[in-house]
Amino acid sequence: MRFILRRLGFYFIAFWACITLNFMLPRFMPGDPVSRMFARSQDRMQPEQIDQLRRLFGVDDRPIWEQYINYIGDVLTGQMGVSISRFPTPVTEVIASQIGWTILLGGVSLIIAAVVGNLLGILAAWRRGGLVDSGLPPLLIFIGSFPYFWLAMAALYLFGVVLGWFPLRHAFTSGLEPGFTGEYLLDVAHHLVLPALTIVLVSIGGWMLGMRNTMIATNAEDYIIMAEAKGLKPGRIMFRYAARNAMLPAVTSFGMSLGFVVGGALLTEVVFAYPGVGYQLLAAVQGLDYPLMQGLFLTITAAVLIANFLVDILYVRLDPRVRTS
Amino acid sequence: MTHPRFLRSVRNAAAVLSLSVLVLTGCSANPPSTSADGPERTLLTIPREDMGTFVQNFNPFSPTVAPMTQQAIYESMLIYNPADGTTTPWLATEWEVAEDGKSIVFTLRDGVTWSDGEPFVGEDVVNTFDLQREILGGYDYLDTVTADGNTVTFTFTTPFSPALFEVGQQIIVPEHVWSAIEDPSRETNAVPVGTGPYTEVAQFQAQSFVLEKNPNYWQPEKQQIEGIRMLAFAGNDGANLAAVNGDVDWAPQFMPNIEETFISKDPENRDYWFPPTGAMINWQLNTAKAPFDDVDVRKALSMAVNREQVTSIGMTGYTEPADCTGLSGAYENWKSDEVLADCDWTEYNVDAANALLDEAGYAKGADGMRTMEDGSPFAFDISVGSASSDWLSVANVISQNLADVGITATVDAPDWATVVSGYELGEFDTGIVWSNAAPTPYQYFRGMMGTSTVEAVGEKTFENYHRYGSEEAEQLLTDFAASSDEAEQGEIVNQLQEVYSENAPAVPLFPGPEWGAYTDVNFEGWPTEENPYATLSVRAPTTVLLLTSLKPASAE
Repeated sequence: MRFILRRLGFYFIAFWACITLNFMLPRFMPGDPVSRMFARSQDRMQPEQIDQLRRLFGVDDRPIWEQYINYIGDVLTGQMGVSISRFPTPVTEVIASQIGWTILLGGVSLIIAAVVGNLLGILAAWRRGGLVDSGLPPLLIFIGSFPYFWLAMAALYLFGVVLGWFPLRHAFTSGLEPGFTGEYLLDVAHHLVLPALTIVLVSIGGWMLGMRNTMIATNAEDYIIMAEAKGLKPGRIMFRYAARNAMLPAVTSFGMSLGFVVGGALLTEVVFAYPGVGYQLLAAVQGLDYPLMQGLFLTITAAVLIANFLVDILYVRLDPRVRTS
Repeated sequence: MTHPRFLRSVRNAAAVLSLSVLVLTGCSANPPSTSADGPERTLLTIPREDMGTFVQNFNPFSPTVAPMTQQAIYESMLIYNPADGTTTPWLATEWEVAEDGKSIVFTLRDGVTWSDGEPFVGEDVVNTFDLQREILGGYDYLDTVTADGNTVTFTFTTPFSPALFEVGQQIIVPEHVWSAIEDPSRETNAVPVGTGPYTEVAQFQAQSFVLEKNPNYWQPEKQQIEGIRMLAFAGNDGANLAAVNGDVDWAPQFMPNIEETFISKDPENRDYWFPPTGAMINWQLNTAKAPFDDVDVRKALSMAVNREQVTSIGMTGYTEPADCTGLSGAYENWKSDEVLADCDWTEYNVDAANALLDEAGYAKGADGMRTMEDGSPFAFDISVGSASSDWLSVANVISQNLADVGITATVDAPDWATVVSGYELGEFDTGIVWSNAAPTPYQYFRGMMGTSTVEAVGEKTFENYHRYGSEEAEQLLTDFAASSDEAEQGEIVNQLQEVYSENAPAVPLFPGPEWGAYTDVNFEGWPTEENPYATLSVRAPTTVLLLTSLKPASAE
């Protein structure tokens, strides 16, 4: 219990530091949202309208500390304000409408990459020098080192344009009524394949290599030899003795990655025109949309911290050493 | 794990653009596949390239409104077409500008109804202008707006003839709907009521929506297409892929190397048209700074620029070089033949540029580079936003051209916001800048050399970044605003061009092209260079002319 309380205290300070940074960073950028909107619209907006737009968007001219106090209050009460680049939609609504897709895409690809990658790593380490061990890691690292968007575009071109197996854009066919019908779910899954595949391909190598390396270390432990000496089945030794002990770093990475899922996969979203918060965040940064940026950063911060906290708690369960220290 | 990926993605975002070219050229080897919606598409499908997702916001006063709101749902009293210079009466049938230029009377069209069946009346117009001024501002010259039966009278505080187009092209919203809305600036207007041809929102989803026929449209015979479907894209690449693949009918976004990537896949049905009717794009020199306060320097720099190279390399040949009237293709009819006959300072002429600079006292040093009077090198920055890759290469071409006359120009390309904030405060050397665009050249010349738009360095301004003012031009602009006689206006604009050509307030480069490409597989009746009844823009007032002219391809 004391452990959890201490961790909670740490997370509280981390949270405060994060939201303070979230507040400061956008304000170091030059210009203000209205000038940016004006610069982007170029000749489409009248110069006379600028002051009016400032008033409309409520661009803050107050001293920075006053804005900060206000901001902290808003964060604590969950008020994120109105988005400027999506005016007059509230920030919460903008995020809520897209975070589902982000979590779906990020979550599915993370789970697939982690599960398959770890299993491959276990296999590779268990059969050292075998086909999985010598062939896969170089191949996966090779694929993983491709620029992310390149892989996405190549997949889109090959499987979408040339072969026509998968749709070229969006999360589901336009005009299809969303709902829990077989047709809709299948359509969503069909649209998910390519974007998820590229994320999995890029990240799976890291999972596999990480697991393989820790597994090799655990394989040399005395208790493995002991288990073998006892005549236990190889499968049981592999998963219950070796893999279980080699899993800890993978759990940490999984927790970290889980938190970052809500940040969205910007390039995948752009290439496949997949809805999600990644592009929204880029647009918010480009448009200096402070409220939306703060809202998104806050969501990411909270998700990372929560995921870490869960991992911390899980560790207590997984690793007895944490409990005693 | 994901953390470095995020950083990497931001860094690589720019690279995506260039790579898309690769993918797109790769595509051209294949025949177009049938669209996702099946071969018989009844909805006019249009991509929107800068919105990853749509928000159901059909409030025409909102700067972040859903696409097509101001084109398909709401309409204006008249429509000015910059491609052929004609004006089409729309919700008003006629108008009368007063002799003294201080008022205009519009006669509204009979028999127009809103999409909810209510009649369109003068009160709607009056209320619209109240809302517009309250929410978005502008129309500072407007004194009163009054309705009387089917006429609406606008009076101005000073004579202001350009008002006809500004007022006339204001889109009109229904008073009976908007008067009941408590805070119109924050209204999302999810179910819009308009007079336009396609007002009924259907299937609104995060990445697509459909606008169906207005059941009470005043020209039902012109609603020949079933409806409009908008698709959301987070960037040009996705939208271009959709266009190349034939999934959309209209491609209003920028496409690199369009002949190769788009046309060659179906030359029978696909075409594009880039009329030079956008705003004039200038190389603006900060005239509040030496040496740019010297007209000879400005003209010499202008002559040192090879505009053929600028348009062919920088703009991939999508536009044409500017001339010394400084007017874009939208003002073709206003151009003065006399000024055109005497265009020397916008012609590429290295010898003349060198001679002029020598004469002005910026002699070449031993190393062949010019120096200022105090002996420091003649060097400056060209500021341009890094996101505009085409303008960036324009700046690079200029920089290379200037090296030939012994001047060092460094291209400075940070984020647009940084660039623009420098422009606004006058803290820049030179930059590639757009200009004001409106139906008459008044706003353009006002922003280019009117004294009323000049602010001191350090004071924020949103036009006339180069800070050039001419008393003579200001007087001519005032005369123009006071005149309602077309012949007289033409004469004043001729004089403005003379002042412009004499003083070279900025270095005109090229008129911005109005992008637009289409396929007539599903719909036909698109505007072309031979039949320029509208431009191919989806965001212009003329868009509604297109929407009411297109018809299904099978209906011969």
